[in-house]
Amino acid sequence: MLPKGFEKQLNILDFSLSSLWRRKLKNISIMLVFALVIFLLGSFQMLTGALTQSADAVLRNTPEITIQKMSAGRQEAIPLSYSEKLHSIYGIRAIIPRVWGYYFDESSLANFTIMAMDTNSMPNGNKLDLTLSYGHFPKRTEPGTTVLGRSVQEILGLGTRRIFSLFRPDLSLKSFEVVGLFSDQTDLLTNDLIVMNLDDARDLFAMEPTMATDLCIYVANPTEIETIAKKIAGLLPDTRVLTKSQIQKTYQVVFSWRSGFASICLLAALIAFVILAWDKASGLSPEEKREIGILKILGWETADILAVRFWESTLVSALAFIIGCTAAYMHVAFFDATLLKPVMVGWSVIHPPFKLLPSVKLADLLLIFSFSVLPYLGATVIPAWHCSTVPPDSVIR
Amino acid sequence: MRPSHILFLILLFFLILDTMLYLHATRLQEALRSDHALQAIAVSGLGLADLCVATEARYTRHPAVSDAIAPFMDHPGAIEHFPSGSFWAAPADNNVR
Repeated sequence: MLPKGFEKQLNILDFSLSSLWRRKLKNISIMLVFALVIFLLGSFQMLTGALTQSADAVLRNTPEITIQKMSAGRQEAIPLSYSEKLHSIYGIRAIIPRVWGYYFDESSLANFTIMAMDTNSMPNGNKLDLTLSYGHFPKRTEPGTTVLGRSVQEILGLGTRRIFSLFRPDLSLKSFEVVGLFSDQTDLLTNDLIVMNLDDARDLFAMEPTMATDLCIYVANPTEIETIAKKIAGLLPDTRVLTKSQIQKTYQVVFSWRSGFASICLLAALIAFVILAWDKASGLSPEEKREIGILKILGWETADILAVRFWESTLVSALAFIIGCTAAYMHVAFFDATLLKPVMVGWSVIHPPFKLLPSVKLADLLLIFSFSVLPYLGATVIPAWHCSTVPPDSVIR
Repeated sequence: MRPSHILFLILLFFLILDTMLYLHATRLQEALRSDHALQAIAVSGLGLADLCVATEARYTRHPAVSDAIAPFMDHPGAIEHFPSGSFWAAPADNNVR
């Protein structure tokens, strides 16, 4: 035996559902458009949240301090002699020069990232082979050898071949042998990488042997990173000194709610929908007004009519919310965020697969809920209240 | 069958679907944990600072180590023109010179 109040609400719910079904075309189309807007907003938030979480999880071991030389507002090669100036700073454990840059492949229009350093000096350098699906990292004694990211191998069309060539700036060719391929488990970081020896990278970029792209600094005591960074900035005023915490903060900012034109477009779509919903829902049709009038004549109270309207709009908006959020999760988790990816990667030729766990945070869901469901509830219940307080005979006449 | 019963069936369907998605998320999290361990080795061994998501422009491939001014560097008065730039906000960098 159901409690009386519950039985009454169940009856009102039945009445509301029948009422919704009578205008099924209008209500289903509103619900689907509503679900689409929530789906887009939810997908954006789940995708960017997943990228932020991944960055947070894996970028904890970035170099403690990175030094780049600046000239006329641009980054340029840094002389290796700069590292000698740093020897006076107490607390620096290691200074490791890196040569890295971009290689534009004109035949495929792809941008590869070339990276070279003495991996034996890097932290975890001896474990790097674990990140490969086969082979080993280039040794200092093996000139002309490389490790490729999976997309690089695919775009170069190497197949089972191990030899390929890249152009130097003077358009002469330099040959390389592939000695390893990154595993698909590291795609999120290494998909476009070509890792090689320092000498090979300098040869490819026509860089002087006394120069590097940047210097990675490792300190003995991690609590002294900021102090040492300040000392370096004082000693080398023409450099930009990036600390680990600044690098880690980057991904907390680049995809935040305030970031990006894309989120503004999505929010604009949501606001447009709210206005549409207000317009459609607030103007009760003469038929709906007559229905309210008849219900009042039959003895329904204003509270009951409000309850019917409340249930109707709750059902439409809550179902749209559930459908939109569920579809958003599936879109990011199973379909690689296909609809957002083209915007996110732009004209990139390399499309790294996104193996991401969609970020479902209560705060985000509540935000989407309060942006979407609550305005719709307000937009439908308030006009019904206005209508149900007028005398019924004036409505049905 | 009362209309509310059909609604409850629909809600039950979504409850089951969302429970399955939750279980999927739990399993994916486990799988990603081993990926993250390998990725952490790649990050420390190669000194990586960025995710490989958008490779079209250096400021979206390496936002952490690029200048905030990089999108506008092509020529005086240049505007940022890469599509992915609309998705990525410039990192707050106190060291911009």
